[in-house]
Amino acid sequence: MTQLIAGQLLNGAIVGTLYGIVALGVTLTFGITGIVNFALGVFMMFGAYAAWYFSDTLGLPYPLAVLAAVAVTAAAGLVADQALFRFTRNNLVNGLLVSLGLIAVLEACALLVFTSTPKELHRVLPGIVMVAGLVLPKMKLVVFALLLVVIFATYAALTRTWTGRAAYAYAQNPEAAALMGVATSRLQTGVVVYSCGLAGLGGALYASLYSLEPTLGSLFILKAIEAAILAGIGSVTGALLGGVILGVTEGVGSIYLPLAFRDAYGLVFLVVILLFKPAGLFAGRR
Amino acid sequence: MLEVRALTKRFGGLTAVSEVSFAIAKGEIVGIFGPNGSGKTTLLNLIAGLARPSTGEIVWKGTDIAGWQAHEIAATGLVKTFQNPQLFSELTALEHLLIAGHLALKRRMGWRRLATLFGREQISVDERARAVLALCRLESAREARAAELSYGEEKMLGVAMGLMCDPELLLLDEPASGLGAEEIESLENVLRDLKREGMTLCVIDHKVGFLRKLADRAISLHHGAKIAEGTPEEVLSNPDVVTAYLGRAHAAI
Amino acid sequence: MTRLAGTLVIAALLAALPLATQSDFVLTILVFAFLQGMVAVSFNLVFGYAGQLSMFHAAAFGIAAYATHLFMQHLGVGYWGGVLLGATLVAAISVVVGAICFRFRLREFYFAVVTLAFSEMARLTVLNWNSMTNGSLGINLQEKATLWIPGMGVTRIESTVGWYYLALAALGLTLLACWRLVHSWMGRAFAAIRLNDELGDTLGINVFRYKLVAFVAGSVMAAFAGSLYAYFLGSLEPGYLSIDQSLGIIAMVLLGGRSAVAAPVVGALVLTALPHLINFSAEVRSMVYGAILIFTILVMPQGIYGTFAQLLRRRHA
Repeated sequence: MTQLIAGQLLNGAIVGTLYGIVALGVTLTFGITGIVNFALGVFMMFGAYAAWYFSDTLGLPYPLAVLAAVAVTAAAGLVADQALFRFTRNNLVNGLLVSLGLIAVLEACALLVFTSTPKELHRVLPGIVMVAGLVLPKMKLVVFALLLVVIFATYAALTRTWTGRAAYAYAQNPEAAALMGVATSRLQTGVVVYSCGLAGLGGALYASLYSLEPTLGSLFILKAIEAAILAGIGSVTGALLGGVILGVTEGVGSIYLPLAFRDAYGLVFLVVILLFKPAGLFAGRR
Repeated sequence: MLEVRALTKRFGGLTAVSEVSFAIAKGEIVGIFGPNGSGKTTLLNLIAGLARPSTGEIVWKGTDIAGWQAHEIAATGLVKTFQNPQLFSELTALEHLLIAGHLALKRRMGWRRLATLFGREQISVDERARAVLALCRLESAREARAAELSYGEEKMLGVAMGLMCDPELLLLDEPASGLGAEEIESLENVLRDLKREGMTLCVIDHKVGFLRKLADRAISLHHGAKIAEGTPEEVLSNPDVVTAYLGRAHAAI
Repeated sequence: MTRLAGTLVIAALLAALPLATQSDFVLTILVFAFLQGMVAVSFNLVFGYAGQLSMFHAAAFGIAAYATHLFMQHLGVGYWGGVLLGATLVAAISVVVGAICFRFRLREFYFAVVTLAFSEMARLTVLNWNSMTNGSLGINLQEKATLWIPGMGVTRIESTVGWYYLALAALGLTLLACWRLVHSWMGRAFAAIRLNDELGDTLGINVFRYKLVAFVAGSVMAAFAGSLYAYFLGSLEPGYLSIDQSLGIIAMVLLGGRSAVAAPVVGALVLTALPHLINFSAEVRSMVYGAILIFTILVMPQGIYGTFAQLLRRRHA
């Protein structure tokens, strides 16, 4: 039994980092542009399909496909920002409605182009690894490690580089930051593009582990938002922790409760946190 | 009617109102003078229930209302207006007054007001609203949306909304600030009309001239404490008051 | 006076329509449009008038539909018995959901997110409670809606024309109820809450109570629409409670307009008729909803009705 639990814990943690990277995008976007970008889910889906396309159809080696996917997703993010999100800064309700609209449009596009037949990447990194007596596909570990690296790199960038600290300062006090020379609109666009890139990375890596469907974004974004709100929207390391907590809960929960409940844990967390501790569990911490 | 005893409000280390005591009798207009930061607005907020006092009593019509909620106090006839007019941007002036009359409607009709939802419209609130508009000289603005009103009209609408709550004592927070000379005159006339109809008023304002003409009695605050009380003339010629306003170098008006 | 006259004219025209056209196609579209119109108008009560973006509306619609069938099946009640019980169930659930949300003073966006969470919970329940709801397969409804008609007793409503009048009457009643509510002191309280709820609070308006009333009233009206819709369509599926459905409702209201009680009906008519007039696949329909949502938020926030009304006002001024 403990084997099973340990296995689920580990799996949950890995899935949690996927939640976490999108949650990080959610948190960053909220802090700097004042909206919760539900559309990050479809950007993740975009990145996943892009990686599949580059790797499977164009035959690029997987790592190159991932980079290309991230670039393409970030570019798409730029377009979306200039065309749409630029007009909904700090307006949570409009931002929500516009993101929902964008989701509908992009998912439908994906359905038309790729159809709902699940797509799978050729085995990227076959083989398993034994970790403390548990069987783990090598690729999962690679993905886990990569995501952790990117998340911590983001944290480092926020706290050590000038741009990062400017972003942090802006999130605290937009007017003061602007007066000190922070180019606000460029910063906001930059954050949106970066978040889309993060989501695209998450998607591209997701593609190496699971099969793809156009609706994967919607499933993920709700989880990512749950993770971000659980941790406290505004906390960068919190996004990762929130994702992991959620992933682990789902994994362990599915041992004891029927699979149907899996999606419910996050929903319950969401409601409970928003009602009782709206600032999140790790509020105030970076 | 209203008696304030040793009222104090501390915000952490800062004492905004310090041991202030005074009384307001029915039918009079009491003015509160004092430079910026002397605690005038805080004092009014305490009386109206928008802030809780640290210590002291507020006795209104015989009951200590210190610590009561704002809408509970408003329901007993003690109403305060806002310095910066709080309005509903898309609604007309008349609609503002109809909404402000909601409390009175609730008090007067209780549960039976549900019958007016699908039956006959409640006319008395409408009549009172029009009467108040006339009193405040806002008839011309009746169908204008709040976003279209001039600043003076906005402030007057704030006073009108306060009147809809059937007040016995109306607290006015800087009603003349931001108004031009003509608008101030209009305001003075409205307030005098109110007094003539038996309402009691307590007004704080910066404009010394305006308040001196209007008030029957006055008190002066400085750094949260009461430093003078009497007729406006007495208070304004009190050397402590002058020093508070103008600084030590100008001890003569 | 002219507004009343105009309304009567439109009502008369609509009532006479089945006499003018034999086309089953047109009447069917209109039935769907009227029922969706009911949902949109009731959503506007909560969103456009009281200012609360509820993502629970589609759930109310779907829960009532399923509940009507289940009550008929397990309790043996007639159609309207099922409808009333379904509406009561939705009322009870909305009271709980609304009380939770408003007691904790959730502001607009967070209210939307929490109602979304509750809506998803409802959808997952319907999707997974296979023994009751047949899960993702849905249910084909064998029973039909019935109505007591004087002279004929309880008859089944099976013809399109019959449904046309039933749907028209239901929409009419919904519009009447909303109109009375909006133009009463309670409607003013809603407006106050939407525009400046702190000010409303100081003026003695019980913000919690009226937000809850608007939310529950809107949900119950959507419940009636759901019971009718399901029995016209003849089938139930978990998709009734999906976010897509909520999105469609929001699109109808934004497209039609929020400023008048009947404005969302315009949006409902357009969005219901469009996929039938132009042959859209389900994907393209989603794309259109999404594009409309984006377009109306950014370019035409007053919707079709609102823009027209504004043009007319400017012409007269």
